[in-house]
Amino acid sequence: MSATDNSHDHHEEHSHTQLFLMVFLALCALTTVSFLTYFDWWRESVPQKVSWLVMMAVSCTKAMLVIMFFMHLKWEANWKWVLTAPVIFMSALLVFALVPDVFYRMSHASHDRMIYAAERPAEEAHADGHDEAGHEEEAEAARPAA
Amino acid sequence: MSDHHGPNFDYQPALPISNGKTFMWLFLSTEIMFFAALIGTYIVLRFGAIAWPSTHDVHLAEIWGATNTFVLICSSVSIVLALEAAKKNKSSEAKGWMLVTFMLGVVFLGIKMYEYNAKFSHGIYPQHPHSDIYEKPDVYYAQAVRMRVNALKKELTDNTERTPEQDAQLGVLDDIAQKYLDPAERLIRDNPDSVEGRVKIFELADVIYPRASVHEHHGGASHATAENPSPFRLVAAEAGADGGGHGGMPVGLNDEHPWLKLPIMIPGGNMWASTYFLVTGFHAIHVIVGLIAFVFLLLMTLDRASAGVIENVGLYWHFVDLVWIFLFPLLYLF
Repeated sequence: MSATDNSHDHHEEHSHTQLFLMVFLALCALTTVSFLTYFDWWRESVPQKVSWLVMMAVSCTKAMLVIMFFMHLKWEANWKWVLTAPVIFMSALLVFALVPDVFYRMSHASHDRMIYAAERPAEEAHADGHDEAGHEEEAEAARPAA
Repeated sequence: MSDHHGPNFDYQPALPISNGKTFMWLFLSTEIMFFAALIGTYIVLRFGAIAWPSTHDVHLAEIWGATNTFVLICSSVSIVLALEAAKKNKSSEAKGWMLVTFMLGVVFLGIKMYEYNAKFSHGIYPQHPHSDIYEKPDVYYAQAVRMRVNALKKELTDNTERTPEQDAQLGVLDDIAQKYLDPAERLIRDNPDSVEGRVKIFELADVIYPRASVHEHHGGASHATAENPSPFRLVAAEAGADGGGHGGMPVGLNDEHPWLKLPIMIPGGNMWASTYFLVTGFHAIHVIVGLIAFVFLLLMTLDRASAGVIENVGLYWHFVDLVWIFLFPLLYLF
Protein backbone atom coordinates (compact mmCIF):
# COMPACT_ATOMS: atom_id res chain seq x y z
CA MET A 1 0.00 0.00 0.00
CA SER A 2 2.59 2.62 -0.76
CA ALA A 3 2.14 5.62 -2.93
CA THR A 4 4.67 4.29 -5.41
CA ASP A 5 2.12 1.74 -6.61
CA ASN A 6 0.51 4.03 -9.07
CA SER A 7 3.67 5.37 -10.61
CA HIS A 8 4.10 2.64 -13.19
CA ASP A 9 0.65 2.40 -14.64
CA HIS A 10 0.37 5.71 -16.42
CA HIS A 11 2.48 5.04 -19.45
CA GLU A 12 0.47 1.91 -20.23
CA GLU A 13 -2.61 3.92 -21.03
CA HIS A 14 -1.76 4.74 -24.62
CA SER A 15 -4.16 2.81 -26.72
CA HIS A 16 -5.84 -0.34 -25.68
CA THR A 17 -8.18 -0.38 -28.64
CA GLN A 18 -6.61 -3.50 -30.10
CA LEU A 19 -6.81 -5.23 -26.75
CA PHE A 20 -10.43 -4.22 -26.23
CA LEU A 21 -11.39 -5.69 -29.56
CA MET A 22 -9.70 -8.96 -28.59
CA VAL A 23 -11.63 -8.98 -25.31
CA PHE A 24 -14.82 -8.25 -27.22
CA LEU A 25 -14.24 -11.21 -29.52
CA ALA A 26 -13.49 -13.43 -26.53
CA LEU A 27 -16.74 -12.34 -24.87
CA CYS A 28 -18.72 -13.10 -28.02
CA ALA A 29 -17.07 -16.51 -28.32
CA LEU A 30 -17.88 -17.30 -24.68
CA THR A 31 -21.50 -16.23 -25.13
CA THR A 32 -21.69 -18.62 -28.07
CA VAL A 33 -20.29 -21.40 -25.88
CA SER A 34 -23.04 -21.00 -23.29
CA PHE A 35 -25.60 -20.68 -26.07
CA LEU A 36 -24.48 -24.08 -27.41
CA THR A 37 -26.26 -25.70 -24.48
CA TYR A 38 -29.46 -24.55 -26.18
CA PHE A 39 -29.17 -27.20 -28.88
CA ASP A 40 -30.53 -30.72 -28.78
CA TRP A 41 -27.28 -32.47 -29.58
CA TRP A 42 -25.61 -30.78 -26.62
CA ARG A 43 -28.38 -31.76 -24.24
CA GLU A 44 -28.28 -35.34 -25.45
CA SER A 45 -24.55 -35.76 -25.02
CA VAL A 46 -23.79 -33.67 -21.91
CA PRO A 47 -25.32 -34.26 -18.45
CA GLN A 48 -27.29 -31.24 -17.30
CA LYS A 49 -25.22 -30.66 -14.18
CA VAL A 50 -22.09 -30.53 -16.29
CA SER A 51 -23.85 -28.00 -18.55
CA TRP A 52 -24.69 -25.86 -15.53
CA LEU A 53 -21.06 -25.97 -14.41
CA VAL A 54 -19.89 -25.08 -17.91
CA MET A 55 -22.31 -22.14 -18.07
CA MET A 56 -21.27 -20.81 -14.67
CA ALA A 57 -17.59 -21.20 -15.55
CA VAL A 58 -18.20 -19.34 -18.80
CA SER A 59 -20.09 -16.58 -16.96
CA CYS A 60 -17.32 -16.19 -14.37
CA THR A 61 -14.71 -16.00 -17.14
CA LYS A 62 -16.73 -13.34 -18.94
CA ALA A 63 -17.18 -11.43 -15.70
CA MET A 64 -13.43 -11.52 -15.07
CA LEU A 65 -12.71 -10.28 -18.60
CA VAL A 66 -15.10 -7.36 -18.14
CA ILE A 67 -13.74 -6.50 -14.70
CA MET A 68 -10.08 -6.80 -15.62
CA PHE A 69 -10.09 -5.02 -18.97
CA PHE A 70 -13.22 -2.91 -19.39
CA MET A 71 -13.27 -1.78 -15.78
CA HIS A 72 -9.48 -1.31 -15.90
CA LEU A 73 -8.79 -3.24 -12.71
CA LYS A 74 -5.84 -4.96 -14.39
CA TRP A 75 -4.06 -1.61 -14.55
CA GLU A 76 -5.12 -0.15 -11.25
CA ALA A 77 -2.83 0.19 -8.26
CA ASN A 78 -3.22 -1.75 -5.07
CA TRP A 79 -6.16 0.35 -3.86
CA LYS A 80 -8.35 -2.00 -5.90
CA TRP A 81 -7.98 -4.66 -3.23
CA VAL A 82 -9.23 -2.31 -0.53
CA LEU A 83 -12.55 -2.01 -2.33
CA THR A 84 -12.95 -5.38 -4.00
CA ALA A 85 -11.70 -7.86 -1.40
CA PRO A 86 -14.36 -7.11 1.25
CA VAL A 87 -17.06 -7.25 -1.40
CA ILE A 88 -15.88 -10.56 -2.77
CA PHE A 89 -15.80 -11.88 0.78
CA MET A 90 -19.25 -10.56 1.65
CA SER A 91 -21.01 -11.76 -1.47
CA ALA A 92 -19.31 -15.15 -1.27
CA LEU A 93 -20.55 -15.36 2.31
CA LEU A 94 -24.03 -14.43 1.16
CA VAL A 95 -24.06 -17.15 -1.45
CA PHE A 96 -22.46 -19.78 0.79
CA ALA A 97 -25.04 -19.04 3.48
CA LEU A 98 -27.64 -20.25 0.99
CA VAL A 99 -25.85 -23.50 0.20
CA PRO A 100 -27.51 -25.63 2.92
CA ASP A 101 -30.88 -24.33 1.80
CA VAL A 102 -30.24 -25.18 -1.82
CA PHE A 103 -28.96 -28.67 -1.24
CA TYR A 104 -31.40 -29.56 1.49
CA ARG A 105 -34.39 -28.45 -0.52
CA MET A 106 -33.14 -29.92 -3.77
CA SER A 107 -32.84 -33.42 -2.41
CA HIS A 108 -35.71 -33.46 0.03
CA ALA A 109 -39.35 -32.48 -0.21
CA SER A 110 -41.64 -33.61 2.57
CA HIS A 111 -44.93 -35.33 1.87
CA ASP A 112 -46.83 -32.31 3.14
CA ARG A 113 -44.89 -30.02 0.89
CA MET A 114 -45.60 -32.14 -2.16
CA ILE A 115 -49.32 -32.19 -1.40
CA TYR A 116 -49.80 -28.59 -0.41
CA ALA A 117 -47.37 -27.05 -2.86
CA ALA A 118 -48.71 -24.13 -4.82
CA GLU A 119 -51.96 -23.49 -3.01
CA ARG A 120 -54.09 -20.66 -4.23
CA PRO A 121 -54.13 -17.29 -2.47
CA ALA A 122 -56.09 -17.23 0.79
CA GLU A 123 -58.83 -14.73 -0.14
CA GLU A 124 -59.84 -16.83 -3.08
CA ALA A 125 -59.81 -20.04 -1.10
CA HIS A 126 -62.19 -18.50 1.43
CA ALA A 127 -64.59 -17.38 -1.26
CA ASP A 128 -65.66 -20.90 -2.16
CA GLY A 129 -66.89 -22.90 0.77
CA HIS A 130 -66.90 -26.62 1.38
CA ASP A 131 -64.03 -28.22 -0.39
CA GLU A 132 -61.39 -25.91 0.91
CA ALA A 133 -62.76 -26.11 4.47
CA GLY A 134 -62.50 -29.88 4.31
CA HIS A 135 -59.00 -29.48 2.98
CA GLU A 136 -57.92 -27.35 5.86
CA GLU A 137 -59.44 -29.70 8.41
CA GLU A 138 -57.45 -32.51 6.91
CA ALA A 139 -54.31 -30.49 7.18
CA GLU A 140 -55.12 -29.53 10.75
CA ALA A 141 -55.79 -33.15 11.64
CA ALA A 142 -52.55 -34.26 10.08
CA ARG A 143 -50.41 -31.84 12.02
CA PRO A 144 -50.74 -33.08 15.62
CA ALA A 145 -50.41 -36.64 14.41
CA ALA A 146 -47.12 -35.96 12.70
CA MET B 1 -4.14 20.03 4.25
CA SER B 2 -0.57 20.32 5.42
CA ASP B 3 1.03 19.76 2.03
CA HIS B 4 2.99 23.01 2.05
CA HIS B 5 5.09 21.92 5.04
CA GLY B 6 7.18 19.42 3.15
CA PRO B 7 7.16 19.30 -0.63
CA ASN B 8 9.06 15.99 -0.66
CA PHE B 9 6.68 14.31 1.68
CA ASP B 10 4.78 11.91 -0.57
CA TYR B 11 1.69 11.59 1.54
CA GLN B 12 -1.58 10.13 0.28
CA PRO B 13 -4.49 11.37 2.38
CA ALA B 14 -6.81 8.71 0.99
CA LEU B 15 -7.10 6.27 -1.90
CA PRO B 16 -5.00 7.50 -4.82
CA ILE B 17 -8.06 8.00 -7.01
CA SER B 18 -10.59 10.76 -7.43
CA ASN B 19 -13.47 11.05 -5.00
CA GLY B 20 -15.92 10.29 -7.77
CA LYS B 21 -14.22 7.05 -8.65
CA THR B 22 -13.95 6.06 -5.00
CA PHE B 23 -17.65 6.69 -4.61
CA MET B 24 -18.50 4.75 -7.73
CA TRP B 25 -16.53 1.72 -6.57
CA LEU B 26 -18.10 1.87 -3.12
CA PHE B 27 -21.53 2.12 -4.74
CA LEU B 28 -20.74 -0.81 -7.02
CA SER B 29 -19.66 -2.79 -3.96
CA THR B 30 -23.13 -2.40 -2.50
CA GLU B 31 -24.65 -3.21 -5.87
CA ILE B 32 -22.67 -6.43 -6.14
CA MET B 33 -24.05 -7.55 -2.80
CA PHE B 34 -27.56 -6.48 -3.80
CA PHE B 35 -27.54 -8.60 -6.94
CA ALA B 36 -25.68 -11.46 -5.25
CA ALA B 37 -28.59 -11.64 -2.80
CA LEU B 38 -31.21 -11.52 -5.56
CA ILE B 39 -29.48 -14.14 -7.68
CA GLY B 40 -28.79 -16.34 -4.66
CA THR B 41 -32.44 -16.21 -3.67
CA TYR B 42 -33.46 -17.05 -7.21
CA ILE B 43 -31.22 -20.10 -7.18
CA VAL B 44 -32.64 -21.32 -3.87
CA LEU B 45 -36.23 -20.86 -5.00
CA ARG B 46 -35.65 -22.31 -8.43
CA PHE B 47 -33.82 -25.46 -7.38
CA GLY B 48 -35.97 -25.96 -4.31
CA ALA B 49 -39.17 -25.76 -6.32
CA ILE B 50 -41.09 -28.96 -6.84
CA ALA B 51 -42.02 -27.90 -10.34
CA TRP B 52 -40.46 -25.25 -12.53
CA PRO B 53 -41.69 -24.32 -16.01
CA SER B 54 -39.40 -24.83 -18.97
CA THR B 55 -38.42 -21.64 -20.76
CA HIS B 56 -40.81 -22.31 -23.62
CA ASP B 57 -43.70 -23.05 -21.26
CA VAL B 58 -43.57 -19.40 -20.29
CA HIS B 59 -42.78 -18.00 -23.73
CA LEU B 60 -39.18 -17.23 -22.96
CA ALA B 61 -37.08 -17.46 -26.13
CA GLU B 62 -33.37 -18.07 -25.57
CA ILE B 63 -32.42 -16.29 -28.75
CA TRP B 64 -33.59 -12.96 -27.34
CA GLY B 65 -31.58 -13.47 -24.19
CA ALA B 66 -28.50 -14.22 -26.26
CA THR B 67 -29.16 -11.19 -28.47
CA ASN B 68 -29.44 -8.97 -25.42
CA THR B 69 -26.17 -10.38 -24.06
CA PHE B 70 -24.52 -9.49 -27.34
CA VAL B 71 -26.07 -6.00 -27.30
CA LEU B 72 -24.75 -5.28 -23.81
CA ILE B 73 -21.28 -6.59 -24.63
CA CYS B 74 -21.20 -4.29 -27.67
CA SER B 75 -22.28 -1.36 -25.53
CA SER B 76 -19.53 -2.12 -23.02
CA VAL B 77 -16.99 -1.96 -25.81
CA SER B 78 -18.41 1.26 -27.23
CA ILE B 79 -18.32 3.08 -23.89
CA VAL B 80 -14.73 1.94 -23.38
CA LEU B 81 -13.91 3.35 -26.81
CA ALA B 82 -15.67 6.59 -25.86
CA LEU B 83 -13.41 6.85 -22.81
CA GLU B 84 -10.30 6.16 -24.88
CA ALA B 85 -11.32 8.86 -27.37
CA ALA B 86 -12.02 11.35 -24.59
CA LYS B 87 -8.62 10.68 -23.04
CA LYS B 88 -7.08 11.59 -26.40
CA ASN B 89 -9.21 14.75 -26.39
CA LYS B 90 -11.16 13.63 -29.47
CA SER B 91 -14.43 15.08 -28.32
CA SER B 92 -16.62 14.32 -31.32
CA GLU B 93 -15.39 10.74 -31.63
CA ALA B 94 -16.15 10.22 -27.95
CA LYS B 95 -19.62 11.62 -28.44
CA GLY B 96 -20.20 9.28 -31.36
CA TRP B 97 -19.28 6.23 -29.28
CA MET B 98 -21.42 7.52 -26.44
CA LEU B 99 -24.37 7.81 -28.82
CA VAL B 100 -23.75 4.23 -29.98
CA THR B 101 -23.77 3.10 -26.34
CA PHE B 102 -27.01 4.94 -25.70
CA MET B 103 -28.66 3.41 -28.75
CA LEU B 104 -27.54 -0.10 -27.74
CA GLY B 105 -29.03 0.47 -24.29
CA VAL B 106 -32.30 1.48 -25.92
CA VAL B 107 -32.18 -1.65 -28.10
CA PHE B 108 -31.69 -3.76 -24.98
CA LEU B 109 -34.74 -2.20 -23.32
CA GLY B 110 -36.77 -2.58 -26.51
CA ILE B 111 -36.06 -6.31 -26.67
CA LYS B 112 -36.85 -6.56 -22.96
CA MET B 113 -40.19 -4.85 -23.51
CA TYR B 114 -40.99 -7.17 -26.41
CA GLU B 115 -40.19 -10.13 -24.16
CA TYR B 116 -42.32 -8.81 -21.29
CA ASN B 117 -45.17 -8.29 -23.71
CA ALA B 118 -44.95 -11.91 -24.85
CA LYS B 119 -45.58 -12.91 -21.21
CA PHE B 120 -48.32 -10.37 -20.53
CA SER B 121 -50.25 -11.30 -23.67
CA HIS B 122 -50.44 -14.88 -22.41
CA GLY B 123 -51.71 -13.93 -18.97
CA ILE B 124 -48.35 -14.43 -17.28
CA TYR B 125 -48.02 -11.67 -14.69
CA PRO B 126 -46.18 -11.66 -11.38
CA GLN B 127 -49.29 -10.91 -9.37
CA HIS B 128 -52.75 -12.19 -8.94
CA PRO B 129 -55.38 -9.77 -10.26
CA HIS B 130 -53.71 -9.86 -13.69
CA SER B 131 -52.15 -13.28 -13.57
CA ASP B 132 -54.14 -16.18 -15.04
CA ILE B 133 -51.72 -18.79 -13.74
CA TYR B 134 -52.88 -21.85 -11.84
CA GLU B 135 -50.36 -24.36 -10.62
CA LYS B 136 -52.26 -27.63 -10.66
CA PRO B 137 -54.95 -29.24 -12.83
CA ASP B 138 -57.36 -29.65 -9.94
CA VAL B 139 -61.00 -28.80 -9.22
CA TYR B 140 -60.08 -25.21 -8.40
CA TYR B 141 -58.62 -24.82 -11.84
CA ALA B 142 -61.70 -26.36 -13.47
CA GLN B 143 -63.86 -24.06 -11.37
CA ALA B 144 -61.90 -21.01 -12.45
CA VAL B 145 -62.30 -21.96 -16.09
CA ARG B 146 -66.02 -22.54 -15.56
CA MET B 147 -66.43 -19.13 -13.92
CA ARG B 148 -64.59 -17.38 -16.73
CA VAL B 149 -66.65 -19.20 -19.38
CA ASN B 150 -69.88 -18.37 -17.52
CA ALA B 151 -68.95 -14.72 -17.17
CA LEU B 152 -68.15 -14.43 -20.87
CA LYS B 153 -71.32 -16.25 -21.79
CA LYS B 154 -73.50 -14.07 -19.58
CA GLU B 155 -72.04 -10.97 -21.14
CA LEU B 156 -72.89 -12.29 -24.60
CA THR B 157 -76.38 -13.59 -23.85
CA ASP B 158 -77.32 -10.37 -22.07
CA ASN B 159 -76.62 -8.58 -25.29
CA THR B 160 -79.87 -8.76 -27.33
CA GLU B 161 -78.48 -7.50 -30.63
CA ARG B 162 -75.58 -9.79 -31.26
CA THR B 163 -73.34 -9.48 -34.27
CA PRO B 164 -72.56 -12.70 -36.20
CA GLU B 165 -69.10 -12.49 -34.71
CA GLN B 166 -70.50 -12.57 -31.20
CA ASP B 167 -72.70 -15.51 -32.11
CA ALA B 168 -69.60 -17.34 -33.19
CA GLN B 169 -68.00 -16.50 -29.84
CA LEU B 170 -71.00 -17.95 -28.07
CA GLY B 171 -70.55 -21.11 -30.12
CA VAL B 172 -66.90 -21.37 -29.08
CA LEU B 173 -67.86 -21.05 -25.41
CA ASP B 174 -70.55 -23.74 -25.68
CA ASP B 175 -68.05 -25.95 -27.45
CA ILE B 176 -65.52 -25.63 -24.64
CA ALA B 177 -68.17 -26.36 -22.03
CA GLN B 178 -69.53 -29.39 -23.85
CA LYS B 179 -66.30 -30.93 -25.03
CA TYR B 180 -64.02 -30.40 -22.06
CA LEU B 181 -65.61 -28.84 -18.99
CA ASP B 182 -68.77 -30.90 -18.60
CA PRO B 183 -67.10 -34.33 -18.90
CA ALA B 184 -64.35 -33.32 -16.49
CA GLU B 185 -66.77 -31.97 -13.91
CA ARG B 186 -69.04 -35.00 -14.24
CA LEU B 187 -66.17 -37.42 -13.74
CA ILE B 188 -64.89 -35.56 -10.68
CA ARG B 189 -68.41 -35.33 -9.20
CA ASP B 190 -69.22 -39.01 -9.68
CA ASN B 191 -65.91 -40.35 -8.56
CA PRO B 192 -63.80 -37.74 -6.79
CA ASP B 193 -60.83 -40.00 -6.13
CA SER B 194 -60.45 -41.45 -9.59
CA VAL B 195 -57.61 -40.58 -11.89
CA GLU B 196 -59.84 -40.11 -14.93
CA GLY B 197 -61.31 -36.86 -13.64
CA ARG B 198 -57.90 -35.38 -13.07
CA VAL B 199 -56.74 -36.54 -16.47
CA LYS B 200 -59.74 -34.78 -18.01
CA ILE B 201 -58.89 -31.55 -16.21
CA PHE B 202 -55.33 -31.91 -17.36
CA GLU B 203 -56.58 -32.26 -20.92
CA LEU B 204 -58.70 -29.17 -20.44
CA ALA B 205 -55.62 -27.25 -19.30
CA ASP B 206 -53.68 -28.61 -22.23
CA VAL B 207 -56.28 -27.47 -24.76
CA ILE B 208 -56.37 -23.99 -23.28
CA TYR B 209 -52.63 -23.53 -22.85
CA PRO B 210 -50.50 -26.32 -24.31
CA ARG B 211 -47.12 -26.29 -22.62
CA ALA B 212 -44.14 -26.71 -24.88
CA SER B 213 -42.36 -29.03 -22.47
CA VAL B 214 -45.26 -31.50 -22.55
CA HIS B 215 -45.60 -31.46 -26.32
CA GLU B 216 -41.96 -31.48 -27.28
CA HIS B 217 -41.58 -34.53 -25.17
CA HIS B 218 -43.90 -36.85 -27.01
CA GLY B 219 -40.82 -38.30 -28.64
CA GLY B 220 -40.40 -40.11 -25.35
CA ALA B 221 -37.50 -39.11 -23.16
CA SER B 222 -37.99 -40.76 -19.83
CA HIS B 223 -37.67 -38.07 -17.22
CA ALA B 224 -40.41 -35.54 -17.89
CA THR B 225 -43.93 -36.43 -16.98
CA ALA B 226 -46.83 -34.13 -17.64
CA GLU B 227 -47.04 -33.16 -13.99
CA ASN B 228 -43.39 -32.47 -13.47
CA PRO B 229 -41.50 -31.18 -16.48
CA SER B 230 -37.77 -31.58 -16.30
CA PRO B 231 -35.95 -28.39 -15.44
CA PHE B 232 -33.73 -28.82 -18.47
CA ARG B 233 -36.33 -28.55 -21.19
CA LEU B 234 -34.70 -25.98 -23.33
CA VAL B 235 -35.83 -25.90 -26.82
CA ALA B 236 -37.95 -26.69 -29.70
CA ALA B 237 -35.42 -26.32 -32.43
CA GLU B 238 -37.07 -23.48 -34.29
CA ALA B 239 -38.89 -21.65 -31.53
CA GLY B 240 -36.32 -18.87 -31.37
CA ALA B 241 -37.02 -17.83 -34.93
CA ASP B 242 -40.42 -16.36 -34.18
CA GLY B 243 -41.59 -12.80 -34.63
CA GLY B 244 -45.26 -13.47 -33.95
CA GLY B 245 -44.91 -15.61 -30.88
CA HIS B 246 -45.68 -19.16 -31.95
CA GLY B 247 -43.08 -20.22 -34.45
CA GLY B 248 -43.17 -23.89 -33.56
CA MET B 249 -45.05 -23.30 -30.33
CA PRO B 250 -48.17 -25.38 -29.85
CA VAL B 251 -51.33 -23.32 -30.30
CA GLY B 252 -54.04 -23.38 -27.63
CA LEU B 253 -57.53 -21.97 -27.27
CA ASN B 254 -56.14 -18.81 -25.68
CA ASP B 255 -53.96 -18.26 -28.76
CA GLU B 256 -56.74 -19.00 -31.24
CA HIS B 257 -59.24 -16.77 -29.44
CA PRO B 258 -57.36 -14.02 -27.63
CA TRP B 259 -60.62 -12.65 -26.17
CA LEU B 260 -61.09 -15.83 -24.11
CA LYS B 261 -58.30 -15.19 -21.59
CA LEU B 262 -59.08 -18.44 -19.81
CA PRO B 263 -57.10 -19.41 -16.71
CA ILE B 264 -53.94 -21.31 -17.61
CA MET B 265 -52.12 -24.10 -15.82
CA ILE B 266 -48.34 -23.91 -15.43
CA PRO B 267 -46.76 -25.92 -12.59
CA GLY B 268 -44.37 -23.58 -10.77
CA GLY B 269 -45.55 -20.70 -12.98
CA ASN B 270 -46.30 -18.22 -10.21
CA MET B 271 -42.89 -18.53 -8.56
CA TRP B 272 -41.27 -18.36 -11.96
CA ALA B 273 -43.12 -15.15 -12.83
CA SER B 274 -42.27 -13.56 -9.47
CA THR B 275 -38.55 -14.29 -9.72
CA TYR B 276 -38.25 -13.53 -13.43
CA PHE B 277 -39.95 -10.16 -13.26
CA LEU B 278 -38.20 -9.18 -10.04
CA VAL B 279 -34.69 -9.99 -11.21
CA THR B 280 -35.01 -8.72 -14.79
CA GLY B 281 -37.03 -5.74 -13.55
CA PHE B 282 -34.29 -4.61 -11.20
CA HIS B 283 -31.76 -5.07 -13.97
CA ALA B 284 -33.93 -3.06 -16.36
CA ILE B 285 -34.16 -0.24 -13.78
CA HIS B 286 -30.36 -0.17 -13.71
CA VAL B 287 -30.29 0.02 -17.49
CA ILE B 288 -32.71 2.97 -17.41
CA VAL B 289 -30.53 4.79 -14.85
CA GLY B 290 -27.56 4.19 -17.14
CA LEU B 291 -29.45 5.65 -20.10
CA ILE B 292 -30.28 8.78 -18.07
CA ALA B 293 -26.58 9.16 -17.26
CA PHE B 294 -25.76 8.81 -20.98
CA VAL B 295 -28.19 11.61 -21.82
CA PHE B 296 -26.33 13.92 -19.41
CA LEU B 297 -22.99 12.87 -20.89
CA LEU B 298 -24.26 13.55 -24.41
CA LEU B 299 -25.06 17.11 -23.37
CA MET B 300 -21.48 17.67 -22.20
CA THR B 301 -18.29 18.26 -24.18
CA LEU B 302 -16.54 14.92 -23.96
CA ASP B 303 -12.92 16.09 -23.90
CA ARG B 304 -10.04 15.14 -21.66
CA ALA B 305 -11.50 17.15 -18.77
CA SER B 306 -14.61 14.97 -18.66
CA ALA B 307 -12.76 11.65 -18.97
CA GLY B 308 -13.23 11.07 -15.24
CA VAL B 309 -17.00 11.31 -15.48
CA ILE B 310 -17.07 9.02 -18.51
CA GLU B 311 -14.93 6.53 -16.65
CA ASN B 312 -17.29 6.49 -13.66
CA VAL B 313 -20.42 6.11 -15.79
CA GLY B 314 -18.56 3.44 -17.75
CA LEU B 315 -17.79 1.52 -14.55
CA TYR B 316 -21.49 1.56 -13.72
CA TRP B 317 -22.44 0.41 -17.22
CA HIS B 318 -19.94 -2.44 -17.17
CA PHE B 319 -21.48 -3.54 -13.91
CA VAL B 320 -24.94 -3.61 -15.54
CA ASP B 321 -23.42 -5.74 -18.29
CA LEU B 322 -21.83 -7.98 -15.65
CA VAL B 323 -25.15 -8.67 -13.95
CA TRP B 324 -26.73 -9.64 -17.26
CA ILE B 325 -23.83 -12.00 -17.99
CA PHE B 326 -24.99 -14.01 -14.98
CA LEU B 327 -28.71 -13.54 -15.49
CA PHE B 328 -28.69 -14.81 -19.07
CA PRO B 329 -27.66 -18.42 -18.39
CA LEU B 330 -29.53 -18.58 -15.09
CA LEU B 331 -32.85 -17.41 -16.49
CA TYR B 332 -32.74 -18.65 -20.07
CA LEU B 333 -30.54 -21.72 -20.18
CA PHE B 334 -30.79 -23.48 -16.81
